Amino acid sequence: MEVFLTSPWVPAEIIRAHGHRPRSAWPATPNRASAVPEGVCSFAQSLLSLAESHPDAALVFTTACDQMRRAADAALARSRSRIFLFNLPATWQSPAARNLYRAECARLGRFLTTLGGPHPKAEDLLSVMIDQENRRAALRQFIQRHPARLAAEALAGFYSEGIVPTAPPTDAIPVPRGIPVALIGGPLLPSQWSLFDDLESTGGRVVLNATEPGERCLPPPCPIPSPEQPPLPALADHYFDHAVDAFHRPNTRFYDWLGPRLHERQVRGLVLWVHVGCDLWRAEAASLRDAFHLPLLTLDAHVESTGGLRDTNRLAAFIESLQ
Amino acid sequence: MTHSPLQLTLTEWDQRYAELARAGLREPWYGGPLARHVERENNERLRRLRFDSSAAALRLWNFLLTENERLRTARAQGDRLVGTMKDLGTVPVMACALPKVRPFYPDGAWWTPCLMECSDRLLVQADALGTDPSFCPVRAMLPAFLNDEHFPRPDLLICSTGAVCDDFSAIAQRLERLGHPILWWEMPRRRAPDPGEPACDLPGGLIGPAGQVECVREELQRVGVELGKLAGCDLTHERIRAGIRSANQIRRQLQTLRQTVYAAPGAPLPALEMLIAEMLAVHFCSDRGECLPVLAELATEATRRVATRQFVIPDDAVRVFWVNPVADLRAMNLLEACGGRLCGSDFMFTHALDLIPEDLPPFEALARTALADPMVGPAQDRARRIVDDCRRFKIEAVVIARIPGASHCPWEGNPIRERIADKLALPIVEIEIPPVCDALLPTLRTRIEAVLEIARARREP
Repeated sequence: MEVFLTSPWVPAEIIRAHGHRPRSAWPATPNRASAVPEGVCSFAQSLLSLAESHPDAALVFTTACDQMRRAADAALARSRSRIFLFNLPATWQSPAARNLYRAECARLGRFLTTLGGPHPKAEDLLSVMIDQENRRAALRQFIQRHPARLAAEALAGFYSEGIVPTAPPTDAIPVPRGIPVALIGGPLLPSQWSLFDDLESTGGRVVLNATEPGERCLPPPCPIPSPEQPPLPALADHYFDHAVDAFHRPNTRFYDWLGPRLHERQVRGLVLWVHVGCDLWRAEAASLRDAFHLPLLTLDAHVESTGGLRDTNRLAAFIESLQ
Repeated sequence: MTHSPLQLTLTEWDQRYAELARAGLREPWYGGPLARHVERENNERLRRLRFDSSAAALRLWNFLLTENERLRTARAQGDRLVGTMKDLGTVPVMACALPKVRPFYPDGAWWTPCLMECSDRLLVQADALGTDPSFCPVRAMLPAFLNDEHFPRPDLLICSTGAVCDDFSAIAQRLERLGHPILWWEMPRRRAPDPGEPACDLPGGLIGPAGQVECVREELQRVGVELGKLAGCDLTHERIRAGIRSANQIRRQLQTLRQTVYAAPGAPLPALEMLIAEMLAVHFCSDRGECLPVLAELATEATRRVATRQFVIPDDAVRVFWVNPVADLRAMNLLEACGGRLCGSDFMFTHALDLIPEDLPPFEALARTALADPMVGPAQDRARRIVDDCRRFKIEAVVIARIPGASHCPWEGNPIRERIADKLALPIVEIEIPPVCDALLPTLRTRIEAVLEIARARREP
């Protein structure tokens, strides 16, 4: 069965090990969500539409934000058997939060067996972990050597289908020029990838994609547990320890992750990508400015596409101001 | 002293106060005429409210409006102040169990722009700090922390996170990045136990997975250690047990008051005073000892009025259930001006009204209570309780007050509506109330009047 994941912080390995096909929600969300009620996050609303348009698939929502968990409540009310709400702890500094995350991974496994998947043996999960890790390593290499849009497409392909494109020789890739900026924020959907083109056409270049599912969502290499160790806790701990997101409390890990990368890549400006109705990312605008002393432009994301001429003009003015 | 109940303006209360004083009114140290809160704290909104005319209501208002002053006095006397954020009712029980520790909710600053009719400019300052009007009015808390003109800065800040509203979580995170360290504790999203999963009863008739209770218990124990360090003594089980008993005394008193007022054939107390009284449950308005007699006096007054059939609102008023607290207190007066009366409420902290189990290990009891928070579970659970209360108090109409910008409001209206429509078929209206709602009064009035009119038309002749 297809199982859509709405967050990068739920291990897709668990789904594969249970014989299901993990797919990410980002590329699958309908280009046109149903009308978004006032105050509702457009991405959360689009996930509801996704659940409705895929009646034969399961969906794993998370509690990363209030909007998402309430969208899950609405989806659960309509179809309890194929919706799973994964409790992603907001905190990460206590054993209780770690245990909660581990317990949720185990509960997800039980849910997957109710969908018809087999209960995997330890070696099955281990084998999936190794395979997934190899793919991730190839993906890391690919995105290091490719411009942002191609990298975004590769990331989407990986999260969607588990596919990683082969990296051509480095010299085959033209080195883009432009003012280096970091793109930060929540979900960036394929229908919104024209943002990369808009940025380039205005003289900028995304050197760090910290949106979802950008580089930020790729955890570092996962140490493969020895055959005597149960793999599920090791997998859960790896995700728990390396999730980098705005919803964490405190969200210092996000800033710790971002800081060195902005410095290394000589980023000169930040573009904050915020879905309408998303408080968690919107509130980071001021903190990002304070933390990194870089000019920041907030762009409001709608599900359908980027914001058209107005956003392009804003981007152009922003990039011009960085020259 | 007997007196026909009325709703008075602030000016009328001056005269009433003089009468009470002449008749020998005895007040606690924080007592005095209500008008002084306008002069001293610039609480201009009081000039536009109508207050119950009883001495009990006077004490309630004085208790509420002197909270910041009482906190400063407590600090001057060596008490440690704890800012407990978001959980609305649980951590204060623990903090109050320690000697010379006083909890308060900085969240309460969300009413400051209302009380000061925005003359405080807190919302403008909040905007400048990165929280624009797309966030709920609790953003007023941010500048209130920084400018020291409202509540004193707490010695320890504690905030529940996880299954909480995005606005608050984002604002609290911003606060921390502005240099106010926060002790965060995890609140899982309450869910129904899976088949075969160990489960526990929670207050309010809910059931939760034992694993979630264990998670919250461990988190509260972690919080308890930090509170103990602040107090300089351990938060022992004995201390918490005593704290729970004291909290339950207050909750019982509040239950009595709610039962007396909401079940009465007429309204012995107005909606505004009931909102304030219920708010006391979350942290006892920073003084647990005084909270109990304040509520007891109100309950006595309500009981007396019911016995003598002296009601402050006309008998034919429509019995209304109100969902969510209002950013502008004037909205509660408006309900009555439109011909309604408050007969049931869910101001987002019903778990602070339920008794904390006394027959369980204390951290376990608190964990179960915290998990019963209506805001950490699905809106369907909340809707279920609302329906039960509507039945219990013979409700005729429901008002769902939306909080501007709040992440939960756009989602919870429908499940509540659907449940009420399915079970009771009551008329429902959703209204959004900004911190100062004067400009919207005609619209709000029209919408409330419409739903009350429908309710009245459904009455049997």
